[in-house]
Amino acid sequence: MPQAQQTSDSNATVNGLFSRFGAPSFTAQPTQDNTPTLWVERHKLLEVLAHLRAEFPMLLDLFGIDERLREHRPEAALDFTIVYHLLSLEAREEIRIKVGVSSDDASVPSAHLIWPNANWYEREAWDMYGVEFSGHPNLRRILLPPTWEGHALRKDHPARATEMEPFSLDEEKQAAEQEALLFKPEEWGMARATEDTEFMFLNLGPNHPSVHGVFRIALQLDGEVIVDAVPDIGYHHRGAEKMAERQTWHSFIPYTDRIDYLGGVMNNLAYVMAIEQLAGIEVPPRAKIIRIMMAELFRISSHLVFYGTFAQDVGQMSPVFYMFADRERLFGIIEAITGGRMHPAWFRIGGVAQDLPQGWDKMVREFIDSMPARMDHYQTMTMDNSILKQRTVGIGEYDTAEALSWGITGASLRATGMDFDLRRDRPYGGYDEFEFEVPIGNRGDSYDRAAVRVEEIRQSLRIIRQCLDNMPEGPYKSEHKLTTPPPKERTMQDIETLIHHFLSVSWGPVMPVGEASFPIEATKGINNYHLVSDGGTTSYRTRIRTPSFPALQQIPDFCKGLLIPDLIAIIASIDFVMADVDR
Amino acid sequence: MEWNLSKPEDVIASSPGGSDISIEEQIKRNVFFARLEDLIAWGRAHSLWPFNFGLSCCYVEMATSFTSRHDIARFGSEVIRATPRQADLMVISGTVFRKMAPVVQHLYDQLLEPRWIISMGSCANSGGMYDIYSVVQGVDKFIPVDVYVPGCPPRPEALMQGLMMLQDAIEQERRPLSWVAGDQQIIKPEMPARRDMLQKERNLATELKTPDQV
Repeated sequence: MPQAQQTSDSNATVNGLFSRFGAPSFTAQPTQDNTPTLWVERHKLLEVLAHLRAEFPMLLDLFGIDERLREHRPEAALDFTIVYHLLSLEAREEIRIKVGVSSDDASVPSAHLIWPNANWYEREAWDMYGVEFSGHPNLRRILLPPTWEGHALRKDHPARATEMEPFSLDEEKQAAEQEALLFKPEEWGMARATEDTEFMFLNLGPNHPSVHGVFRIALQLDGEVIVDAVPDIGYHHRGAEKMAERQTWHSFIPYTDRIDYLGGVMNNLAYVMAIEQLAGIEVPPRAKIIRIMMAELFRISSHLVFYGTFAQDVGQMSPVFYMFADRERLFGIIEAITGGRMHPAWFRIGGVAQDLPQGWDKMVREFIDSMPARMDHYQTMTMDNSILKQRTVGIGEYDTAEALSWGITGASLRATGMDFDLRRDRPYGGYDEFEFEVPIGNRGDSYDRAAVRVEEIRQSLRIIRQCLDNMPEGPYKSEHKLTTPPPKERTMQDIETLIHHFLSVSWGPVMPVGEASFPIEATKGINNYHLVSDGGTTSYRTRIRTPSFPALQQIPDFCKGLLIPDLIAIIASIDFVMADVDR
Repeated sequence: MEWNLSKPEDVIASSPGGSDISIEEQIKRNVFFARLEDLIAWGRAHSLWPFNFGLSCCYVEMATSFTSRHDIARFGSEVIRATPRQADLMVISGTVFRKMAPVVQHLYDQLLEPRWIISMGSCANSGGMYDIYSVVQGVDKFIPVDVYVPGCPPRPEALMQGLMMLQDAIEQERRPLSWVAGDQQIIKPEMPARRDMLQKERNLATELKTPDQV
């Protein structure tokens, strides 16, 4: 769905930069999404970023690109590129700043003092590309094990496990790996004791019932009070970004389902919207509404899992059984429509996989009719419970400014009172035709984060009802030549169509050269696929910006001085999944 | 080992002559003979305590099998333990990452004997769709597996079927490990493919539902 994301104000930003630093300092790069993209010299980078900080409180994403094998390389590019993707929520603007470095001098000044969340993104870029960030407080591997050799997203690093030495784990290696994973407080500048107290270091995870998957956090404790914390991630790194460089544009869709594995087709949506942006494909109205309905069903499914596990983590044993039962009923609909449960991979470039089956409307109607009463029941059972309130109200508070500076999006941002939702504020894919409210909180604590999500379930039900009542007729897939799989009807009538169909199905479509991204409001916050096409059947670089990654980075900032059970309540309230963090 | 369950009143009602039955029959009804190892195997099979362990997407489907609609408690396997030292079943539910493999090994070592492993989902079975640098191509590269459950992710029903297959195997005390060291050589148990076993039954289906109706 091509949609000009640019407003006349973003040119004002660019003009402001030009008048402040002089136009020759920048090289503009045209992109298919019309987001202003400027290359800047390395020695001016920090100055430019600091200047932009006033206007762009959020560093949405920071990532690397290995340009060495790229045929259609932008003129300003060297061997490696570091991209800073900035977002202004107030002005609804985006800008990309790019800086190029050569491989014999791969070093960029660190931006962690401008946006605190640059810290982890820079560690990731170092881990994946070997680009150093001078002035970084602790530049060490973040996704791959500390014993790893090489930088995985470099084009000369093997992609397949089967291209590498087969994995084995003897006793010696096991001991060495365990030793490497040992938490050493000195590496993080932590004292083991002060004059009058000795700290205890507690290792929580990577396998612990309350950390929602393979997440590890090392705690520095004074008694039971948390002095400091170091989250350790990468235990769930599935190499999805490298995978995108070898799967065709079409066959990468199933991998997106498994990024936020509770979000199902919501991930497909973010990915196919970015491709459609790149290729200029317009999606027919019926496909748009089907997509919205499916995405909102998955938002409910994801929030139901959140709701149940949140209650369970703060000590309520029964709610999760109710929420999972509802989720099963919802999966009944998903299965009837798509044939799958958690990972249907049902969206296609230019539409969806097939039309809605006969009888879908009855199933959906039964579900959305029954849910409000059940939600009322859960409200009494869970959110109004006084013990749950004592565990979560006022626990893990942060304000809007902090949330923005850490890159927090979605319900966790709205819980601070920030009234922002991409679906309403920069409508995409047909959301402008819907009526719904954006629930917000005011304290920004664990309770509000949950309360906002609970209300979002009701709003999603409202959106689905509108889909149900106003489902347009028409095709479920675009007629565009890059739509995948391509239309088959006319293939038996002329040889040209047959040839194109054959190539497009067997090799996959070839996307036009260029770059595009498309941020959407996913189940857990802003999800954004940045796609670089070099004119091939696969992506040259796919960057997946997920909402869960910055959320974990922020934990040490607001858990200090709390107790361990408070930390559990905080983790329960964030709503993350590890695949969405490590990809 | 043969056994059955019956209510006392049914037994009395169904027995002609009531108390006039032979001593032999009385003993048969009241005394249970079995080899001790069979009895232990039977007990073990129906009280598998799983370790609360999950890796990725599959774990969500595993958790689903514990909740209301599926209710794995029906098969005596709902007592999730937070420590491997109290568990005898570990379900490797999800992708086995290289960074996580030493941790999985460590936890496996902490499970007390006898211990059983279910490999749940394509990733744990073989790496599945993730032939990628950070993923171990199947958990059986470093720990032995008893039952492989296919799927990506497998449905909760599939996990329960896997559990029942494991229970049958435990009850017969034939540990279908992928390999066992015998006296002279490695013994590989016979493991017929489920597909072949079910083919006849599946071929009976002549009409399949089309996807254009619910």
